[in-house]
Order: sequence, then C-alpha cells, then structure tokens
Amino acid sequence: MTLFLLLAAFVVQQFLPAFTGFHHSRILLVQLVFLCCAVTVNQPTMLLLAFVGGLLWDAHSALGPSSGDPAVYVQAVESLRFGYSVVLFAMVGFLMQGIQPLFQRGKWIFSAILTGIAVWLYLAAEYAFINFVRGDFVFNQATFFFFFFIALFTMLLSPLIFWGLYWIAKSCGHTIYPEASRRKKRTQ
Amino acid sequence: MKPLNLIALLLFLAGAVWVLTLSERSVREIQATYFSAMSQFLKSGSKLETHARDFVKETTHSKALEAELETIRGEIGRLRIIESRFKDLEAENAQMRSALDFKTTTKFDIVAARVIRRHPTTWWQTVDIDAGEEHGIGTQLSVLSNEGLVGKIDRPDRGRSSVILLTDEKCQVSARVEGTPEVGILSGQRGRYDGTPLLRLKFLSINANLQKGQRVFTTGRGGLFQPNILLGTIESLEKGALDSEALVRPSVNFEDLDTVFVVLSATD
Repeated sequence: MTLFLLLAAFVVQQFLPAFTGFHHSRILLVQLVFLCCAVTVNQPTMLLLAFVGGLLWDAHSALGPSSGDPAVYVQAVESLRFGYSVVLFAMVGFLMQGIQPLFQRGKWIFSAILTGIAVWLYLAAEYAFINFVRGDFVFNQATFFFFFFIALFTMLLSPLIFWGLYWIAKSCGHTIYPEASRRKKRTQ
Repeated sequence: MKPLNLIALLLFLAGAVWVLTLSERSVREIQATYFSAMSQFLKSGSKLETHARDFVKETTHSKALEAELETIRGEIGRLRIIESRFKDLEAENAQMRSALDFKTTTKFDIVAARVIRRHPTTWWQTVDIDAGEEHGIGTQLSVLSNEGLVGKIDRPDRGRSSVILLTDEKCQVSARVEGTPEVGILSGQRGRYDGTPLLRLKFLSINANLQKGQRVFTTGRGGLFQPNILLGTIESLEKGALDSEALVRPSVNFEDLDTVFVVLSATD
C-alpha cells in the first residue's frame, strides 16, 4: 500500500509548481511521502521504497550529458550520477527509522519535525554532491533560504500525510501506532 | 541485525550499485519509460500551470498593456527597417556566393513551441515545451526566443521536450563580445534561483577591456549553437590573476518566457 502511495505522490508532484516568490522553492511531496512511510514500515519495506522512490526521482530530474567540441568546452560541467537519489533516500529513511519507537508510541509530532530536518539534510547532501562534482563551493543567502522554504513547506504538509497513512492503515485493519494502541487497550 | 533486514540491505546495495553503473543509454530508456507513463499527468499538470499563468496575465492592468503595445509598435517599426536592410544584405550575400560559385549550404528550419512548464526539477534551470520528437526535435538543438538564446534541448520526448536554460550552470555557450577580440564561455551561476540571474562569461583575456552594455553573441564554435545569436549585455568585469570574467545580463526575460523556437537545422 505504501508503494502505491509513493507512486501516487509522483503523480501529484507533477501538479505542484515552484513558489516563485520564495526563491522558486517547492513542496517535495515524493520525499515527504517516503519519509512518512519510512517511519511507519519495517526496514526491508523502507529500503524497497527508497529504491523505487530514488530511481523514479532520478528518472524525473536527471539531465543529459554535456556535449559540444571538447576543444572549445574545455571544462565540462558534470551532473549528478543517475541513481544517487536511491542512496540518499535510504540514508534519510534510516534517519526516520531511528525515531520509530517514539512514533509507535503515538508521538507523531517528533516525526513531523524530523521530516523537515530530513528534507533539509537531503537538500544539503544533494547540494554538497553538486559542489563536489562541479568544484568551487558556493553557498549564499539565496541557497540557505531555498533550503529553508522547501524544508518548511514540506514539513507543514507532513501531518496531512501522517493522517492519510493512519486512515489507510485503519481501513486495512492495521495501526501505525502499535505501542499506543496496546497501551490504550490495556487501560480500557 | 535480523537476518531478513540483512538480506534486504544486501539486496538494496546490489540494486543501488546496478543503478549507479547504468549506461547513458539505459538511463535515457528508463527516463523515456517514466515520462511516457506520466505523460497524461504531465499534460494535465502543464495545462493547470498554463491556465494559472494566463489568468495572471489577463489580470494585468490594461494601461500597462497599452504602454506595452505602444513599445511593441515602435519596436516593429524599428525591426521592419532592420529587416529591409537584412534582405538587402541577404541578396548581396547570395550574389557574392553565386559569383564565387559557393554551394549554398545554410538552412534554418525552426519549430515554434510554447513553454508549458517551468522549473519542474529542484536544482536545474529547465522548462518544458509542447514540441518533441514528433516535430523533429532532437537533443542539443538550440532554443531561441525573439530576444535571443534561451537554451538547448536536453531531453526530447514524443510530444514535449525539456529545455535546459542559459541560466543553468550546465548550459555552456561559446561567446564573443561585440567590437572586441574577446571570446569566452558563458554559463549560468550556481546558487541563483530567482528570475533572470546574471550569467558568467569566463576565460576572457587578462587585459580584457569591456564596457557595461556591450553586447555578447554566440561565436558558433563548439558545434552546439549557431553564430551571432544575441546572449546578453556586459554588466561588469572582474579581473583575475590569470584571466578575466564578466557578468552578463541575459537578453531573454526568462521569467516571462512563453513562445520559443527550436532550430532544427542551421547547417547541413
């Protein structure tokens, strides 16, 4: 079910434009859905989601190779290697799984905050990779605000995704808060 | 670690290595499959964005539009004069070529397209246009607007193409400064996300003497862009230890990009 949700996120992502007034920042819905799912599922499922999510994200955004006469264009500008997102998705997925015990006790607010931090780290890692392969480390105020607005807008949407996951799990006869449910049953 | 988790991790690592070592052709095939599966949603998403943009345009104050119309009328008059002069030169050039028994080799086929999506990715300065392989568009073709060079085709699909803009760091153009012997490589700058950012013209000579407002054109070298396409104007000059670099204001307003022209072939 989480895999279908991730694929649906790719579809909805096509309808989300960049916010021109906020340094062309955007909501990273695919990453958000992945992060929210990562905290609710076991490790093998998280890795499967990371693989599918990363692969499709790179298919969505990878640029073609540089071309032109190398005698004229002596310094080719490199792009990120296709597939890097698979690794990045898994890294932030493991980060989210780190607070899974807290989430399972029903404290989703920590996970919501962590989605913002994870998105920020995801962007920072991508940007660091770009700087590494292209040389000349550049980090200006615009870049900071670009990261900040993307992480903020994405994080603000996380309660909605958690709510959606909660209802999907409930309708399938599962719970995403097993610890909290057990405690609730014990007190009843 | 549980055995199941370990197996999953090993399978994931094997999958990651496989993806990271894919050939360029395989990557393009995966992208083509992805975009063909997404084509209906991309179309709807683009329509939504186009409608929103048109709505914003319609609500622009009518006085501003009137003023713009007046400017355009003036510009048309100026261009008509230039066009008539250009036709004279073309006729003269044809005569000279004929006289020298030169075979005419120049062709300039273009396809008009509309920008249907802006900045679909996080980091790259790209737009999507509504013309693709079915219109004869291939990779690396020049994309122009009536103001100058817009960029080049990065990924053509069946009915749409992705254009990498001149403002992106990866779109490098061999450029020359009008009225000087200076040539260099023009490209966008990293860490610029707003509007129409300044471009950087690198590898100029250490003694480059450039003035603000001087025009920058393509050289035609490097096998990507046709010569004498307007790129922008010099904004400032920065002298380094080994060479000089100039900041260039692009001639194209990338914020207001609507109709563009893809040059299918300029030479045979």
